[in-house]
Amino acid sequence: MDSHKGVLVCGEIAEGKLAPITIELLGAGRKLANDLGEELSTLLMGSKTGGLGPEAIAYGADKVYVAEDNLLDQYNSDAYTQVAADLCRKVLPSIMLLGHTDVGCDLAPRLNGRLGGGLAMDCLELSVDPATKLMASTRPVFGGNAHATMVSKSARPQMATVRPKTVPAAERNDSRQGQVIPVEGKIDPSALKVTVVERIKEAVEGVKLEDAEVVVSGGRGIGNAQNFEMVRELARVLGGAVGATRPACDEGWTPVTLQVGQSGKVVSPKLYIAVALSGAMSHIAGCLGSKVIVAINKDKEANIFSVAHFGIVADYKEVLPALTAKFKELLSK
Amino acid sequence: MSPTGVSYWGIPGYVIFWVLFAIALGLFAQRAYFLFRLMRLGKPENRFDRIGQRIKTMLVELVPQWCTLKTVTRTDRAGIGHALFFWCFALFFISYIIFIGLAGGFGLSSLIERTPFETVYFSILDIAAALVTLTLIVAAVRRYVIRPQRLEPTAEAGFILMMVFFLMVLHVFGGAFDHAARGVHASWPPLGGALAGLLRNAGLSQGTLEAGYRGVWWLHYLVILSFMVYIPRSKHLHILASPVNAFFKPLGPKVVLEPVPLEGVETFGASKIQDFTWKDLLDLYACAVCGRCHVNCPAQLTGKTLSPREVIHNLKEHLLEAGPGLLARQTEASSESPSETQARTEPKAMIGNVVTEEEIWACTTCGACQEVCPVNIEHIRKIIDLRRNLVMTQSKMPESAQLMLRNMQSRGHPWAGIQSMRLRGDWTSGLDLKILAEGDNADTLFWVGCTGALVERNVKATLSMTAVMKAAGVDFAVLGDAETCCGDPARRAGYDFQFQIMAEQNIDMFKSHNVKEIVTSCPHCYNTIKHEYPRYGGDFKVVHYTQLIADLIKEGRLKLTNELNAKLTYHDPCYLGRYNDVYLEPRRILQAIPKTKLEEMERSRATGFCCGGGGGLMWIEEQPGTTKINQMRLEDVIKTGAETVVTACPYCLQMFEDSIEHKGLKDSLKARDLVELVEAAMKQS
Amino acid sequence: MNTIVCVKQVLDPEIPPAKFKIDPEAKQVIPPPGVPPVISVYDERAVEAACRLKDKHKGKITVISMGSAKASDVIKHAISMGADDGFVLQDPAFENLDSFGTAYVLGKAIQKIGGYDLVLCGRQAADWGAGQVGSILAEILGLPVITLACDVQAVDKKVRVKRMVNDGYEVVEAPMPSLVTVSSEIGLPRLPGGMGLMMARKKQIPVWKAQDIGAETSQLDKANAHTEITALSVPTRKTECEIVTGGTPGEAASNLASKLIKLL
Repeated sequence: MDSHKGVLVCGEIAEGKLAPITIELLGAGRKLANDLGEELSTLLMGSKTGGLGPEAIAYGADKVYVAEDNLLDQYNSDAYTQVAADLCRKVLPSIMLLGHTDVGCDLAPRLNGRLGGGLAMDCLELSVDPATKLMASTRPVFGGNAHATMVSKSARPQMATVRPKTVPAAERNDSRQGQVIPVEGKIDPSALKVTVVERIKEAVEGVKLEDAEVVVSGGRGIGNAQNFEMVRELARVLGGAVGATRPACDEGWTPVTLQVGQSGKVVSPKLYIAVALSGAMSHIAGCLGSKVIVAINKDKEANIFSVAHFGIVADYKEVLPALTAKFKELLSK
Repeated sequence: MSPTGVSYWGIPGYVIFWVLFAIALGLFAQRAYFLFRLMRLGKPENRFDRIGQRIKTMLVELVPQWCTLKTVTRTDRAGIGHALFFWCFALFFISYIIFIGLAGGFGLSSLIERTPFETVYFSILDIAAALVTLTLIVAAVRRYVIRPQRLEPTAEAGFILMMVFFLMVLHVFGGAFDHAARGVHASWPPLGGALAGLLRNAGLSQGTLEAGYRGVWWLHYLVILSFMVYIPRSKHLHILASPVNAFFKPLGPKVVLEPVPLEGVETFGASKIQDFTWKDLLDLYACAVCGRCHVNCPAQLTGKTLSPREVIHNLKEHLLEAGPGLLARQTEASSESPSETQARTEPKAMIGNVVTEEEIWACTTCGACQEVCPVNIEHIRKIIDLRRNLVMTQSKMPESAQLMLRNMQSRGHPWAGIQSMRLRGDWTSGLDLKILAEGDNADTLFWVGCTGALVERNVKATLSMTAVMKAAGVDFAVLGDAETCCGDPARRAGYDFQFQIMAEQNIDMFKSHNVKEIVTSCPHCYNTIKHEYPRYGGDFKVVHYTQLIADLIKEGRLKLTNELNAKLTYHDPCYLGRYNDVYLEPRRILQAIPKTKLEEMERSRATGFCCGGGGGLMWIEEQPGTTKINQMRLEDVIKTGAETVVTACPYCLQMFEDSIEHKGLKDSLKARDLVELVEAAMKQS
Repeated sequence: MNTIVCVKQVLDPEIPPAKFKIDPEAKQVIPPPGVPPVISVYDERAVEAACRLKDKHKGKITVISMGSAKASDVIKHAISMGADDGFVLQDPAFENLDSFGTAYVLGKAIQKIGGYDLVLCGRQAADWGAGQVGSILAEILGLPVITLACDVQAVDKKVRVKRMVNDGYEVVEAPMPSLVTVSSEIGLPRLPGGMGLMMARKKQIPVWKAQDIGAETSQLDKANAHTEITALSVPTRKTECEIVTGGTPGEAASNLASKLIKLL
């Protein structure tokens, strides 16, 4: 256990650049490394990583391990697990951080299983006790009804997947110094059992949900597919993204990719407008990180009002058109 | 000389008479037997209890024509016409037996014909013939000129009207020719006598008159025989089938649902026509296609594709089409192997081919169809049997139904957890109530029901109920957290298994607390526990709160002294009204409340229009139509000018709150549960 | 095609938030009275995935659940959906295990059952939601693993899985036997039909103890736990919701927009 030192961030590359989550992880990782008094490294896997190493250093990494291979071009479960696990066994980090993304949700448990560490997923808060060198990870449980703090007393590495947009991103400092270390070893293609057959990008109308500054979500109370257009219209006017609750997706009013909630996307925009949704904990779990939550629901007892900052108790059909119109007017000024 | 006493082309008239009769009877019997065998394809069902009462019911429906007189309303008085027609034609029918059968067939004409008896009887028949003709003309004008919604201007109906008219004409002409040929001058029978005069003055020879008489007589006889042959081959089969159907009508609860067997079956509910019981198939024969069900069905009236008339009609057509194949399986000699026969004669699945899913899921089980049906057809159980097949065998149902049934299974109630924001026993907090724990006993149990415990608006009514009972000194207990659903939504949606599990659990629970009497606020719980639980071993005295409160007022245990100054109307819940004939008690309660003016809706009591919440439709999405059922009902309320619509059912209350809000009338129209008014009228101690 | 499905019985996730109570000392959740536990949301979908495969390819579905004696209810629920057999894994040594411990026990049971082409799990448990058991289990059993499935098909000797990813979905294949964790996007699980309910009613569910599956208690020693919970709390959200009003809902909307415009 004592042989494990330092913080290793398993970064993600998106469209040839460091994904925003990576920059957030570097921010969180830097703080943990400082508290530990140890190094912060990051692992970048891809087919073309040139230039990203120095960028990671500028964001706070002391060492950047770069694994370049055509087989790593897109996320491949077996390949990434193999490369990351091999590196971990060499580097022996005390703490390992990944993003709670579809990559992280697949990679982290597998790595954990292979390395025998201790993993806490979907963390909202991470801290290190400098005395014990133990990381405490706080994560939502029971659909967000409670928070649990987890600790791995002896299992190493201590792993955590961090929820996007919950920890502040690292600040860029191009004068920082660090090392870029290429990772050796070829990946054996025959060892890759899981193969990707095809990837389909679902054309998402407008802004991407996870990145949006404004999200307008509709719930079961919208009532039918036609009326969901009112939600979309408001989102359009605000330059935001459309979200939905699980029941609304189940009804087929929006594609499942727009589901916000415990089993859907977790978003933390500046403004989250919840329209005609009751506010089941499993949905709130997906939007609680929003700076300002607004609820529009005709039931004044709806749970969403208990987490909203502003609300209107009325039928959304009577509110949305006026709201959209007023926003349009104010934004055109 | 009776026309049968003469020979024609060397053949004695009697011979011709009986040969014709034999042929007609044979054709009639063949068809009747065929239909009987088809009916027997259905599953067994025991409707042979209380034979005495059944005979009485049948005679009352038939003889004084209660079957159609019970359907007479201010706007539809056709039942009177039918009764009149029936009685008159019954007289004719008797005359056929006497004057054609006995006189002609058995050669007793000398005893019967040209007697004062004949004169009197024929005079009566003349009047009857005029009345019959009148009813036929009115019927024809209604069906083909006025064209009310419920009547279809079919060729078949027209043919029957013509045939009957023809019989009247032939009867009168027959008598007339007879008199003219015999040179009888009589003023009685009036029509016959007058017509005889015309014939005499027409200058026809004696021979022509005699030939005319014989000709008309035999033509008359032929038409009668053809009619006999035609009856079982047309919708006039109802003449034979409906008295039988009246005999077998349900004597207890109006909707008799057979429990689904838990063992030894491969499919559930009705998939093929032979999955119905013989009684269901008999219903199809009894239908006279009168269309009353069609124009009273809330689904049909709000533009859904469901029409009870069409369902029954299509099932009947399907039975006649698929039946012969099924019967063929029973015959021995065949060149095919049994499996080949099986495959060739397999009836098509009813769902999708004879009745559509959209029709099946549109039904609120309100019972209006059964209430107005003159021939006692049981429409509802067929719909539920089809739902059982969809849900329990095919696992096919609207998603809203699936979500509700999943909730029934995992949570024991139909209201989705998070939406309700409360747990089962929450409503009791802060109240001084006797909540039954294990081992406790209670004589009277107040059964709250899922809606009354879990839905905000309805909890208010539950609280009113406990306040009223306490004020009246009723000693009652509640189950609190331990109460689960009575099972009604699952049963109506066709998920009978789940219903049975819940029913058995509830019965065990009642028995473990030695409960004797159950008081409930929900008519669905009331109906289910009272009428359907006994089948599973649960026999309790079940009371709806309106019955209890009406009694309490009568006994003076409840004094309503606060003036409410309300102009209100009362909506009869289907499961309290039509299903259980509880119409008076709620009205008595309203009468006892000072300063309330009750304005009845046009469609009330037995003709009350459904709120749209029954049959599982409180949760199952309404099928596409022109408007929603609850919105149509609200129009009835608005017409009365009432400020408050009062009801005694949690579903109805929800439906009115919803429609009032939808129409934007929240400020001028209130929906209230009757018990809330009672509490408000009680002197607060 | 034979499948084994791992299911967990959890506290009903749809209890009203106001009713959710914890014991911070024991770091446990106190279940509210009268609320029956349910099958974990994702595990039920794993059963649904198995049933869809059985509809197409026939075969046997075995369901296992590590939990209390009441866990037989979720096994029966799975059987009523279409599973053939089930076992409850119950032993004092199985209580309060972390993800590794759980995966170990499940792995032992799966090895005892044997003869499978596919193991299906939910992506995470609807209660503690650690989200790792499936992947660790795959590692123990040496199986290829695919996570977050929203559709599972069997093609030739491979499992073909559709996974939701960030901006769409991908189709991934692995040779069988393999392990797949299932997400909620697979759709609404089927309502148990009459036949299934009949079967479940009759079925006796055997209980396996540690010795029945060859689980060594040394492996289950709590001291060897990889993670432990040091604190459990209910987050207090200090939000006073400001209800915006107006003469009409339209006016209220106008007022709201005026308040929010400074955020944009």
